[in-house]
Amino acid sequence: MLCSKCQKREAKVFCTEIIDGQKKEQYLCEQCASEYASFHMNRDAMSEETIGGLLSSMLEAYQRRLGEDEREEAEDEEDSVCKSCGLSWNEILEQGELGCEECYQAFRPQLIRSLKQVQGSTVHTGKKPRRKKRTESVHADISEIDRLSLMLQDAVEKEEFEKAAKLRDEIRAYHKKHSEKEEA
Amino acid sequence: MEKWYEEAGEESDVVIASKVSLARNVAGVHFTNRQTDEESAKLLDLVLDKMSNYGDDGGNYDASPISELREVDRASLMERHLASPLLIQKKNTGILIPDDESASIMVGEEDHLRMQVLKSGMNLEEAYTRVNDMDDYADEVLGLAFHPKFGYLTASPVNAGTGLHASFLVYLPALSASGKIPQLSQEVSRYGVNLHGVYGENQKTYADIFQMTNQKTLGCNEYELMEMMNGMVQQIIRQERKYREYALNQNYDQIADQIYRSYGVLKYARQLTTKDAVTLLTQIKLGVDTGILTLEEDKNIYSLIMDIQPNNLQFIAGANLGNQQRDQMRAEYISDNLPELAED
Repeated sequence: MLCSKCQKREAKVFCTEIIDGQKKEQYLCEQCASEYASFHMNRDAMSEETIGGLLSSMLEAYQRRLGEDEREEAEDEEDSVCKSCGLSWNEILEQGELGCEECYQAFRPQLIRSLKQVQGSTVHTGKKPRRKKRTESVHADISEIDRLSLMLQDAVEKEEFEKAAKLRDEIRAYHKKHSEKEEA
Repeated sequence: MEKWYEEAGEESDVVIASKVSLARNVAGVHFTNRQTDEESAKLLDLVLDKMSNYGDDGGNYDASPISELREVDRASLMERHLASPLLIQKKNTGILIPDDESASIMVGEEDHLRMQVLKSGMNLEEAYTRVNDMDDYADEVLGLAFHPKFGYLTASPVNAGTGLHASFLVYLPALSASGKIPQLSQEVSRYGVNLHGVYGENQKTYADIFQMTNQKTLGCNEYELMEMMNGMVQQIIRQERKYREYALNQNYDQIADQIYRSYGVLKYARQLTTKDAVTLLTQIKLGVDTGILTLEEDKNIYSLIMDIQPNNLQFIAGANLGNQQRDQMRAEYISDNLPELAED
């Protein structure tokens, strides 16, 4: 049955109106009925998505898009484990939660990917803890090379070029030492 | 001390309350999902101990482990928006609350700490200023997990960065009656904002009170996030007022009749369920805000809505009540506390 007001859409609501003692009955579509209602109408169902599931489904979609080689690499990533809390990337995807702060370092590449998708960004631009000591101790927690590069960035930003040059040399020395180790 | 929700707030015809919450973790301690019972008990003791000296405009913070609270008190904390269902269900969790109940620090929930401040009406800025001080203090005494690139670290990466969620509790009877809520909900979700009904369960909500919250926490700073939420709620306020005006122009007599009927039921009914009471009270709020109905005394109707929730009611009564007893007591409470109609 068509809506008796607009004569276009399917009627879904039966509406009785009393104006000046005159009873008027009509069948209306939802859109026309909504113009009549003064208090309550049934609302459409609203769904809430669960974040854990959302995260893993986004990453699955990402992996489907990858080539063969990259997929193998991604599977390797899934099996890697955080040294501090023992959680694997696979488990993280399942529960939608990381296990400790170190996870952010251990699964950095995967996280950067998922943060880009979920948050649309990967870099924090808001508040930093007031105490400088804290940031320094965080720096101490991350790997030596990351710490050096962050300090280098910082020195360049502050235009402390002597310090920057020294850090650049340290980074070079670190890389050299590292590659020698691998060759041996 | 006056409770936060008894104060009059900005734009309160549409925005009932504002809330800002921060998710934080203590540095060097596993997140709650990887803690053994022993570890979580230790963390709870540490946080409750270190934070128990904290105080601000809301008064001194009273610390209690959830396990030491009576069941009624626990549920009543949820009804007053101070605790989350997860906090109540989990083992080794705790809460700190100031005298005016305008804030809470949840311990051991999804993250080690979830600090939040509530304000009546539209006022994220003041709420943030207070929760920001709380955050500085927590960092001072506990040391919080922070990463130069990812910001404040949280168990779920969807909260990382600022860890900030800004929410508004909004009352949208006209938009709702015009069937605009699904569309509105879709529109705000495009900007990463979630809108959902507060009263009722699952898909069936009632009373047209909704909560809207930002989902993204990384990439924008705290002030940009709040600005976005403010801009969005202002738009909603304008829309809701426009629809109210339209509905009143079209159906003034029916709406006025409905509002006065609601008043009559609330004043003289002998038994009221929560759902009926909340629905009718929101109609009184609409009546007062639109000037259809004038009460003798200026009363924040939302504070009545909070008071008559099943567990709050028992909390006020100081006794466990059966269903029917509760409905009777609710009716009596409303009859006593709903101000008389002002004479024209």
